[in-house]
This record gives sequence, structure tokens and C-alpha cells, in this order.
Amino acid sequence: MGQTRRALAIASIAAAGFVGLQLLTGSAAAQNSTKVIKIGALLATSGAGSYQGAQQKEGAELAIELLNKTGVNGYKFQLHHEDSACGPLPATQAGKRLIETVKPDVIIGESCSDGTLAVMPLVQQAQIPLINASASSLKITEPGNPWTFRILPHAQMQSENFSNHVYEKLGARTAVLLFENTNAGIDTIDSFEKAFVAKGGKILAKIGFGRDVNDFTAIATRLAGLGPIDIIPTASLEGQGVKIAQALAQAGVTKAGGGKAIQLSNIWLPAGFDEKAGKAATGFIRIVQFDHLEQRKPVQDFLASYRAKFGADKTPSHLQAQGYDQVMLVADTVRRGATDAKSIRDKLLETKNLEGATGHVVFDGKHQNSSVDTMHYVETTADLNWKSLNWN
Amino acid sequence: MSDTTSGTSVLPSGRSGDYVRWLSLLACVAVIIVLPFVFRDAYWRGILTICAINILLAIGLDFIFGYAGQLSLGHSAFSGIGAYVSTVLVTSFGFNFWVAFVCGVLGAGLAGVLLSAFAVRLKGHYLAIASLGFAVITYQILVNWISVTQGPLGIYGIPSPPSLSIPGLPEISFANQQMYFYLVASFALLTYIVLRNLISSPIGDALIAVREDEVSAASLGIYGTKWKVVAFGVGCSIAGMAGCFYASFIGTLVPDAFFITESFMILAMVVIGGRGNLWGAVLGAVLLTVVPELLRGIGDFRLIIYGLALTFVALFLPGGLSGVIIQAMRRMGLAVSGVKGDAHV
Amino acid sequence: MLDLLPILAQQIINGLVLGSIYVLATLGLTLIFGVLGQINFAHADFVTLGAFAAFFAARLTGGNYIFAILAALLVGALLGLAINGAVFSPLRGQDETRPLVATIGVSVLLENTALAVLGPVPYVFDSPYSNQVIRVAGMFFTVQNMLVMIVAVLSIGALYMFLKLTFLGKALRALSQDREAAGLMGINQKQLIALTFVIGSAFAGLAGAMLGPVLVLTPFAGASVIVKAFAIVIIGGFGNVEGTILAGLMIGLIESFTTQFLTPGLSDIVVFGILLLMLAFRPTGLIAERREENV
Repeated sequence: MGQTRRALAIASIAAAGFVGLQLLTGSAAAQNSTKVIKIGALLATSGAGSYQGAQQKEGAELAIELLNKTGVNGYKFQLHHEDSACGPLPATQAGKRLIETVKPDVIIGESCSDGTLAVMPLVQQAQIPLINASASSLKITEPGNPWTFRILPHAQMQSENFSNHVYEKLGARTAVLLFENTNAGIDTIDSFEKAFVAKGGKILAKIGFGRDVNDFTAIATRLAGLGPIDIIPTASLEGQGVKIAQALAQAGVTKAGGGKAIQLSNIWLPAGFDEKAGKAATGFIRIVQFDHLEQRKPVQDFLASYRAKFGADKTPSHLQAQGYDQVMLVADTVRRGATDAKSIRDKLLETKNLEGATGHVVFDGKHQNSSVDTMHYVETTADLNWKSLNWN
Repeated sequence: MSDTTSGTSVLPSGRSGDYVRWLSLLACVAVIIVLPFVFRDAYWRGILTICAINILLAIGLDFIFGYAGQLSLGHSAFSGIGAYVSTVLVTSFGFNFWVAFVCGVLGAGLAGVLLSAFAVRLKGHYLAIASLGFAVITYQILVNWISVTQGPLGIYGIPSPPSLSIPGLPEISFANQQMYFYLVASFALLTYIVLRNLISSPIGDALIAVREDEVSAASLGIYGTKWKVVAFGVGCSIAGMAGCFYASFIGTLVPDAFFITESFMILAMVVIGGRGNLWGAVLGAVLLTVVPELLRGIGDFRLIIYGLALTFVALFLPGGLSGVIIQAMRRMGLAVSGVKGDAHV
Repeated sequence: MLDLLPILAQQIINGLVLGSIYVLATLGLTLIFGVLGQINFAHADFVTLGAFAAFFAARLTGGNYIFAILAALLVGALLGLAINGAVFSPLRGQDETRPLVATIGVSVLLENTALAVLGPVPYVFDSPYSNQVIRVAGMFFTVQNMLVMIVAVLSIGALYMFLKLTFLGKALRALSQDREAAGLMGINQKQLIALTFVIGSAFAGLAGAMLGPVLVLTPFAGASVIVKAFAIVIIGGFGNVEGTILAGLMIGLIESFTTQFLTPGLSDIVVFGILLLMLAFRPTGLIAERREENV
């Protein structure tokens, strides 16, 4: 008798559980009848890279607001964001979730190289175009994925360009390379090494570190013992970047600390880095993807809209510009007649010299933006402002 | 007629016990078959698969911690060993999936045996920290041995197991979410049954004797060393199995998937579900996989809830949720059999 | 070769500074284990919270570092009292893995609550001293580093005097050697244990205040130190203060020298390799303290 009661109890609890679960995970609300382009966004809003996703999302949302005021060819745009946390595992999960539950027409992201690489097989299988604007690893476009596009100049483009400039304009001959042990870090530094050595430069040391390293005093000390160093190309996220700059200054290695070396960085660090690093950032030279002082119309339009929404005293960084440009690129394809994932992809292939806030977009055979005017060089001055170097 | 159950079972013993046991087995099989039809979208089917993988991890750890009383804080390292051994063999050396699978499982089991043999004199806290240290070293090796594991660069595009062709039936492709779930769930069920039988056998008795009082057990000829090593070998092999499935399921492999915090999650499943109770571990695994997904809208709060639940259960519910359920059933007057093996209820 | 000398000397200093921080972070664990035989897994988060307490206190007072240290000590002490009252005291006499697992839960809880409140973006904790650099004979010391070493020496010295000279201190040592006998001598165990937690966790808070300017300060900052802290406790010998100090400094030195001659990533492997060797061949640690294991 007890067995039957127990069986009934278990069965009814299980049934209730199933029904409940089904309701919770059940399919989405009724379809909307206006024409909508769903833009999926895999951006990192948690973890060490979260400053990237948060700011990129801001820029993307701003673009969507502007576009939806009038719509494009009768279409409105929707942004569907999933947190991909700048890492391959969360990005894979977020990507699967996004593709399955939202079925977007196009996806922008991911914020980081590792995350992007993880998502690429997913979009290929789902046949949804992916537009990236912030991941620099070569592996994203070199092998040639028909569904992946990238606006950002990749690690090799940046490093080669950088290497040539510092060799010629700064007379740099010796370098020490510091990098985080990730796809982006390694690709950035390997490309720099190749280009620099090819020009005749010498690499004194190449030191990699994990994202969990906190204290850079020992590394800075090691550099201090290597003799005269001209440049220190560094590839790291902001948190560690600040520590590295400070440690190098303390050790008297960089100009900011009384030494001779100049720290360099590709497009990695957000605006605000200089304030956090303080005096140690003086003399830092880096590539930025967006310069708000540029007088080009797309730049000024973007700046004006941003300030209108967030306040006249706020200035967007390249991160907001990335999000903004990605959405504007999608809008451009719709303007040219795209209506769904496949046609968006086809129209992307035909993009001819579109001008964005970060620069021009021209896709080469591997869907990589080959235009170099997205790379702007700036130097941090003693009062922690940027001085444009006009190298490109 | 001796009581052949160990661990608190909700099933009555004796002949009617056997009958109900068979019924439970059939019920489990039925549930497994039906689940992918209830959850039709790929995302939730994926969660089901992860559930099955977590069940494997939890029952493996429960065997080591719950039954043999060895607090292992680095269980995810063995999962990592299984995942990397099998994946590298497949992607870099072109091994067949199942051959690589066996290698992964054996590799993980071997590592477990090594750790155990090494740490055999250690008790309680020492063992816990030794296991932690082992997990850290394993993680660092995975991260730094880039030429083999690709380290933080990651291994991408890991293939699913090859399709199964049974004459007379259509080809079963494991790239299909549903089939993959059946595959992992079958392994989980089989493993559960094997463990259950081990526990009911004299081996289970030996483990429990060692857990409760090693010195007295030695006087009976049951030597702690040998049995601890057995427990680790078995439990870690199962973790290796889970790791192999995990890698081919997600398709992407990075060392971070096996960081120490993952070990704590598995420990949480065992403790919250109720250690010393194999089905408790299953319960813990299911709850801690599914509930965070349902709470996904709350974002980071789910980890706060994890922490709260773990603390609460450790403080107030030593028998875990299964202990609570058993007590409730007893109070309702439902027959619950022998307490042999479970120290908590 | 001679060029290398100032670099080596510098790395020794770096190692000692790092080691001092590790010692500060670990002393609490050692004390607690010595007296109670238990490990507080949330100790790392006490370090983190101490660091944040120092950060906000410094901000509130416009950069007063002394005040920041005091705030960290207070926060640490309170946390110690809380966890003793909530976890260790009620579970005394029970299966010893329960408090361990409970503190793992507390740790996860604290870290993620801090994450929800403080966010994942690192805080830049610049003490007024971290950018003042003294250069002597080709070596450099930031004033912050000197402060760390002075604070470490002073606080450890104070602990020593407490343990060896005061009645409470002697009672603590008695308790760690033989709990039953100590009880027979009329020592109030409950209060002493609470005191141990207060002192041990205050040290954790202090370590946080020292660490704040050094680490990339996020809610998970302490976690990066805790695994090494456990290694130090074992290598030094559970419950052994001298051993902890020796092991802590040793590990700091290992880290800086591994970074100098190999790569930063390998230091963890070296440290944990030593840990496992210790456990295999000399589980009582570098400086063995005779403990009767009640069989």
C-alpha cells in the first residue's frame, strides 16, 4: 500500500516538475508583424574583459536608437545581447543560446579573440553572418570562414604597421615583448616579432604571463637587467596593463620612470587607462581605433549623438565606436536590399568603402577589412592626454 | 538473509525490493528516452546532456568522498585529464574516438591511483590540500604545455563520436543532440548501476569500514591503503569519462574548464544532494545543473545562491537533500531500509 | 656576470616583499589550524574584503593609509568572529569535513556577493606610497614595499611577544598542544578559540591592506593567494608559526627567481611540486612540531 502512495506522490511531483519546466522554457511570444532585423550581440559584460562588452553594447544600442527613428527600407532593428564573458566556454554557451532561442539574422561580436574563435563554428553551422570589430587574432580570418567578417585590422596588420613606424620614426632597434597567454596576445606579439626582426630589429626577451598574474615587479626587474631597451610592445587587458606600466616605471625601465624604453600597445586598452596608470603611462604610444578629434563627418556625427544621449562632458572610446559601426554596417546592407541572414552575408561581401566612425571598411577575399585608416597612433602626454602622432 | 544494501535506500529490501528495483530501472530508462521529446529545442537538450555529464562527475566523487570518506578537492583535474588525453589523441594523432575515450578514462584513473598512493598516509585536511595541490599542478601543466594541449589558445572544432551503423537500423549520428544525450545518459545509467553493485558487494563494505575506522578495519584485515586507491581509481576514471564527453560535446577545449572552482561545484553537488547516497549525488547534480539555468535571468545571483545553498546544507543538513527526503519519508511511515553505510541519517 | 648582481639582489628583495605578504596572509590560517585543527576556506576572501575595506577607507579619508590599515584590521577581526560563531563553534565535535565544506560555501558566497556589489572591473588601489621610489646601488624599493616589510616584521614580532609573554598567548599555545589538558587547566576554550579567529582573520585583513596596491584588485584577488597560502601552511608545518614564516618567504623567493630565469607561469608548478614532495616525504613540514596523533 505504502508503495502505491509513494509511487503516486513521486509521479505527481515529477509531472508537476515537467509541466513547470516546459512553461519556463517554452517557446517565445507571438510573432510581431512589423519587419524586423534581429541583431544578436555576443559581448563580454562580465569577467576581466567586461569593460569591453559594456561599452560596445552602449555604442550598438545608440546606433539602433538612431536607426529606428526612421527605419531602413521599412525595417526596424532589435538588439539581442548575451554575455559571452570574453572566454571560449561562456562564448560557446552564449552563442548556442542566442542562435537557438533568438535566431538572429546577423551576430556582432565577440569582444575577444578566444570567444570569437569558439563562436565561428556555430555561426557557420547556423549560416548566420558574424561581424567582429574587436578581436585581433589572425586565426579569425586567415583560414577563410565564409560567414565571418572583421572590421578591425588584425594582429599582423597592426603589428607590421606599428613595427615599421617605430623602426623608422623612433629609431627603435631593441625590443622586449610582454604578452598575456591567449590567442590575441600570442598572435599580436608573434606578428610584431616577425615584422621587427625582418626590418633588422632585435628581440631581447619574450615573456608571457597568465591572466592570473598580479605582481609584475619581478618581470620589471628582469627587464631592468637586460640592458638598453628601446620599445616594450605589451599585449594585455587593462587590469594587468596598469600594473605592468607601474612596475616598469618603478623599476626605472620606461621613460616615465626615468629610463629610456617606450611602451607600445595595439588596439587593446580602453580610454581611462591613462588615468588609472597615472604618471606611469607618460610616453605610452598606442594604436587607437577611434579618435574623437578627427573631423570626418561619421566621427563627428557619432560624437554628437553620443553626447546628446550621455552628456556633453562624456567622450566615447573606440569600444563604443566598434559597437556603433557594426550596427551601422548591418544597416548599410539592409539599405542595399538585404532582408535576412543569407542576403546580409551577400551584401556584406559587396561592401564598397563604407565609412564608419572607426574608419573605412573594405573587405578583402578573406572578409578582413584591409583599410589602414582605422589605425590611429597616439602618445600619452605628461598631463595624461593624447597627442595624435599622424603616422598613418 | 543478509541485508545486501549499503547506503540508505528508499527501496525495501528482499524480494519485493528486487521487483521495485527493476521497476525503478525501467522508469529511469523511460525517463531518459522521453526527455528529449519534452525538451525539443537544442539549447535545453544541451542542458540535459550537461546534466548527464555532471551526474557522472557527482557519483564518481560521491564514491570517493561519500563512501570511502576521502575528501578530494581536485576532482575536476581528473575530468580534465580525460578530456585532454582523448581530445589530443583524436585531433593530433587521428585516433578513433572510442579508442581515445578508453585512453582518456584509463589516464584519469591512473592519475587518481597515483595521487591516492602518494597521499595514502594523509588524512582529513592534509589529503584535501594534497588533492588541491594536485589539481593546481594539473591545471598548470594543461596551461603551460602548449605544444601538446594548446594551453589557453584552446582546441577548437572537436568532432563528435563517429556514427553508429547497426545493420537493419538507420545510421545513428552523434552530431544529433538527441542521440548524443542518449549516449551520455546511457553511460551515466550504466555507471550508476555498476557503482551500486560495487557498493552492495563486499567491496562497498570494505570501503565503509575504512571510512569509519581505519585502525579497526586493519585489525580485520581490511587495509586502508588498498581500498583508498581502489576508490580513487574508480571515481577518477568516471571523472575521466565525463571529461571525454564534455570535450566532444562543447566542441571547444580550454584549461579553464577544469579550474579548481569547478571541483568545488562538483563537491557542492555531492554535499547538497547528500553524500553517502548515490542517488543523492544524482539529485544534487540535476538540481545544480538545472536550477542555475532557470535562474539565468538573475545573472550572477545564481552563484550567490550556490554559495548560500552549500553553506546552509553543510551547516544544517548533514545528510543533504536526500537525507531530508529520507527523513520525510520515514515520518510519512514509508518503509525505508537499512542504514548500513550512511553515517548521517 | 657582475651586471647580474644588482638584478639578483633586486629579485631577492622582490621575493622577500612578496613572501612577507604571503606570510601575513597565511599566519591566520596557521594560528587557527594550530589551535582548532580546522581550515577556514573563506580566509582568502577575508584578505580580499580587507583589501577593499582599506581601499574605501583610503578613499573616504582622502588617502590616509594608516586609517585604511585600521579599517582592514577591523573588518578582518569582525569576519573572523562571525565565521567562528556561525560555522566553527556550532559544528565543534562533528565530522571535521563539515566546517571545511561550509567555509567553501561561504567563500563562494562572499566572492559572488562582492562581485555583484563591486563589479568585475579591477579597482586601482594606489596607496600614496606605491609610486615613491627609492633607488640605491642599482636597486629600487618603492616606499610601499618598505612599508609592507616593516608592517610584516612589526606585526609578526607583536604576535610572537603575545604568544610567548602574555597569559592569553601561553594559553593559546597550550590549547594547540593538547586540548584536553588545556581544558583541565581551566582554560576557557570557547573564548580562546574566538580570540584566535579574531587575531588570525585580522591578520588576513592586514594582508589585504598590504596586498591591495600590489594585486589586480577584484573580488577574486584573495583567491589567487589562497592556494599558495595552503601550500605554505603545509610546507611550513601545520600550526607552526616559524615554519609558516620560513615557507612564506621561501615561496616568495621561488616566484621571483622563477620569473627571472624561466617564465612566470612555471612558479605555480614549482611551488606545488614542492608541496607534494613535502607531503610525501615530510608531511609534518619544514620545522616539525611534535604532535601526538590520537589513534
